[in-house]
Amino acid sequence: MIELAGIHRDFQVGDQTVHALDDVSLIIGDGEYLSIMGPSGSGKSTLLNLIGLLDRPSSGRYHLNGQDVTSLSDIAQAEVRNREIGFVFQMFHLIPRLTAAENVELPLIILGLSPEQRQPKVAAALEELHMTDRSHHKPEQLSGGQRQRVAIARAIVTEPKVLLADEPTGNLDHNSGKAVIAILETLNQRGITLIMVTHDTEMGQRARRRLRMVDGRISNEQNGAA
Amino acid sequence: MALHNIDVLRFSWRALRGFPSRTLLMLIAMAIGVSAVVLLTSLGEGARRYVTGEFASLGTNLVIVFPGRSETAGINPSTMMGETPRDLTLEDAQALLRDRSIRRIAPINVGSAVVSRQNRSREVVILGSNHDLLTIRHWQVGQGRFLPQADLDRASPVAVIGSKIRDELFAAKRALGEWIRIGDRRFRVIGVMGSEGRSIGVDVQESIIIPVASAQQLFNTASLFRILVEAKNRDAIETAKQFVIALLQERHQGERDVTVITQDAVLQTFDRILGALTYAVGGIAAISLAVAGILIMNVMLVAVSQRTAEIGLLKALGAAPQQILLLILTEAVMLSAIGATAGLLLGQVGSYFIRVSFPLLPAYAPAWASTAALTVALITGLVFSLLPARRAARLDPVLALSRR
Amino acid sequence: MRVRDFLNLTGSSLIAHRMRSFLTALGIAVGIAAVVLLTSIGEGVHQFVLSEFTQFGTTLVGINPGKATTAGTSMGMFGTERPLTIEDAQALKRLPFARAVVPFVQGNAEVEAGNRRRRTTVYGAGPDMPDAFSMKVKSGRFLPEDDPTAPRAFAVLGSKLRQELFAGSSPLGQRITISGNRYRVIGVMESKGTLLGFDLDDTVYIPAARALNLFNNDTLFEIDVMYDEDTPVEKVVKGIKDTLKARHGRDDVTITTQQQMLDVLGSVLDILTFAVAAIGGISLLVGAIGIVTIMTIAINERTNEIGLLRALGAREGQVLRLFLGEAIVLAAVGGLSGLALGVGMATLLHAALPALPVQVPVTYVVLAEAVAVAIGLVSGVFPAYRAAKMDPVEALRAE
Ligand SMILES: Nc1ncnc2c1ncn2[C@@H]1O[C@H](COP(=O)(O)OP(=O)(O)OP(=O)(O)O)[C@@H](O)[C@H]1O
Ligand SMILES: [Mg+2]
Repeated sequence: MIELAGIHRDFQVGDQTVHALDDVSLIIGDGEYLSIMGPSGSGKSTLLNLIGLLDRPSSGRYHLNGQDVTSLSDIAQAEVRNREIGFVFQMFHLIPRLTAAENVELPLIILGLSPEQRQPKVAAALEELHMTDRSHHKPEQLSGGQRQRVAIARAIVTEPKVLLADEPTGNLDHNSGKAVIAILETLNQRGITLIMVTHDTEMGQRARRRLRMVDGRISNEQNGAA
Repeated sequence: MALHNIDVLRFSWRALRGFPSRTLLMLIAMAIGVSAVVLLTSLGEGARRYVTGEFASLGTNLVIVFPGRSETAGINPSTMMGETPRDLTLEDAQALLRDRSIRRIAPINVGSAVVSRQNRSREVVILGSNHDLLTIRHWQVGQGRFLPQADLDRASPVAVIGSKIRDELFAAKRALGEWIRIGDRRFRVIGVMGSEGRSIGVDVQESIIIPVASAQQLFNTASLFRILVEAKNRDAIETAKQFVIALLQERHQGERDVTVITQDAVLQTFDRILGALTYAVGGIAAISLAVAGILIMNVMLVAVSQRTAEIGLLKALGAAPQQILLLILTEAVMLSAIGATAGLLLGQVGSYFIRVSFPLLPAYAPAWASTAALTVALITGLVFSLLPARRAARLDPVLALSRR
Repeated sequence: MRVRDFLNLTGSSLIAHRMRSFLTALGIAVGIAAVVLLTSIGEGVHQFVLSEFTQFGTTLVGINPGKATTAGTSMGMFGTERPLTIEDAQALKRLPFARAVVPFVQGNAEVEAGNRRRRTTVYGAGPDMPDAFSMKVKSGRFLPEDDPTAPRAFAVLGSKLRQELFAGSSPLGQRITISGNRYRVIGVMESKGTLLGFDLDDTVYIPAARALNLFNNDTLFEIDVMYDEDTPVEKVVKGIKDTLKARHGRDDVTITTQQQMLDVLGSVLDILTFAVAAIGGISLLVGAIGIVTIMTIAINERTNEIGLLRALGAREGQVLRLFLGEAIVLAAVGGLSGLALGVGMATLLHAALPALPVQVPVTYVVLAEAVAVAIGLVSGVFPAYRAAKMDPVEALRAE
């Protein structure tokens, strides 16, 4: 359960203050499927980064599963990210010199698991994304859609409760994009909380809960099938 | 189609400015190399000048005669301090004055004796010599006068004392005209050496100079420790040396039993050794220039691969491979030139501070070292950037643009 | 994170940029090689000089007439008033710890044998000399135990002088003339080579008392005492001092122990070696800057990767260690290859110039590698710290 209350996030640019998030309050239950849409610069990514503990709010409170995570130390936050949260990025962010399998393995390495413990998890994650036969390929040898599948495998390999996707289809053609969304939805149906930022209205409409952001505020929220 | 030089320079300059921290680091690397060469050679040169200066202060156009000779090497311990069956005598010394190539001579006898005045006493090095010693060694008398002009074989109870001896025996009192006891004889102080009397081996300030005949009586010997000979001029040095050898051989029943060295020979040896040392030290320091060169090559390679797209674009806009080559080379040479200049300045400032802190050491970087360091820096910059520059020039524009 | 994973990650990024890593390590390698080579030469010279000196044994004490001056040299050689005599040497021989006592006179004279003549170094010595200086007689025998004050006119030749005077024929039993005095050759010494440029073989040894006569001198140059290894050197010095004080009425000699000389010599040579190593170390400094530069570049290029690692839950400390690890591996690999390079060049140098003593000191080798690792650590800290402190959001957004 994600509970945000009165969240502000200000950026200081020169002598000017940008209010990227302006009093955002939001509760997201376990297993929800939430899409966030809105014009460029409205604060979508900022919100996602805050939820993913990559960033700290300027003010406001954030409880994750009942725990106040804003006051956690950097190290404790890192651990929460590692165990509870999976990220999927628009730019994939695969490490080019590592193979698909090694990229997927990375969160487990950071966690400190032994190779024997890691192996089945990596295999399972790749299997889930139908990338087993590509596990020894380097990112440059994969198509965009395949790269994003590897990135998703990496996001779920630690079996997180929350999956954060920031424009996961932004760098993909329409068909690959749809395939990626389908995968994410499957994961959601199995219980993972899915929060997705997107510019694509068609994809955004598929979520059961849809937020619209303007100028750092949640301007409107829709529930149920569109 | 040719790029204007100013445009090439401006382009390279902008490229360097685009990555200030790495540019700065490379400049520092180059500067360290160059300043190390400059600083260390200036130290070496300082040492060389110091030593040659010391030797020059021994006197000018000097020829030194030692008793004894060994056929193995010119000088060895037995000729420096050993005994010989036949001594060098005062008559030998006197006879040397017969040749026109010789201007003046100073026979020298050295010993140590206890010197006392009232209740103060200490052991002191006693130099027996003559009036001309002062001129030959370029010494100065501080107070009173030096040994009087007199026949070599005339002993007289007069002494010229070093300033430290004066301080120890007389403290603040007047020394001139006072009597001191050297061994079992009494001498009257007629002079005190000036403070600049410094020479290798014996500290004049800690010794006492008496007439050579008196010294021979004091030490009960007829022999001399060595004879200093001053030739008329530089050209006469070799003539004087040959004359000394021939004369003493004749006087010693045809036996060649003395060693004669010229100050020039000794000076040249030291000059050579210290010069070689300076080269060696400079060379070792120059290794760091090579390391800096490797660094520049490395960074330029990185820069080329980072700027692949930019280079592809330049090609697409019609730049020829040679122009790309020129751009990258200019960038590298600019780097090493700026770094080397900074290093040169740093080195000069450093040697200036050495000179200020150690006034005895004339630490001036030799011109060859500065020039060589600069040249080597520029050449390494150029040579080590050839590879990256050629890699850039050969980039396939289509691939370069399509990548990423 | 596990150590193996850590090494894998570090290694993979170094291998991904082979050329860059190679050149960076090369910078360190050149520096380390320079230091290793230079210290090897320095250490070689050190060992060479020490062995030259210790060939005479280390339980030696030299006694010179006259008190040492402030300048450090004894003035006794200039003809002091209080001579050091053969009787003094005999008195020292009676000391319980004295294994060998050699009275010494040194000079220069013309030696004649038949129609050959040569100016050479003449040593007046005593029968204990071969013992004290571990010298070996090649043929015949050394000077016998005669009455030290009135010894027979025997002479022992150095190997070079023997060649010069008696090339081809046996010198034993032959007569030679030293400055007009006749001596009988009773032995030839084995070659001792040169000591710091002085030929030790172009010499003739005669009894000290005769040498004093020959040179018309009343004082010995030196008395050398070889003492029992078990006796502490302080006791030896005191014993000698007391004996001579009793005989001369005052303390008027300079006593130099071989150990003192070796210590002084050793520390001078150590300083020289260190200075040379330090000059070579400038290259290491430049190599270190190379690591800083390349790591700075790497971190700029891999900003995204750093952001990703943080997003995946890596802690600041882990990121720091990863990049620090890269710097250290670079430096350590460079250091190792520099070591190999330096040792190889030292070996080649030794093969090419056998006269130049080269000795690779193990401590320096270990030290050099430790220095290399330390360089990696120090030069990696700044870039790695920057990587660790990067804001993950910013890092992910970077192009
Ligand atoms: N590090 C930063 N420093 C200053 N301003 C920032 C920073 N990060 C975000 N902003 C500002 O905060 C606002 C929200 O940015 P954010 O990236 O969340 O927008 P977005 O909704 O994700 O836009 P897009 O759809 O283009 O990705 C923008 O005005 C942006 O300029
Ligand atoms: Mg965004």
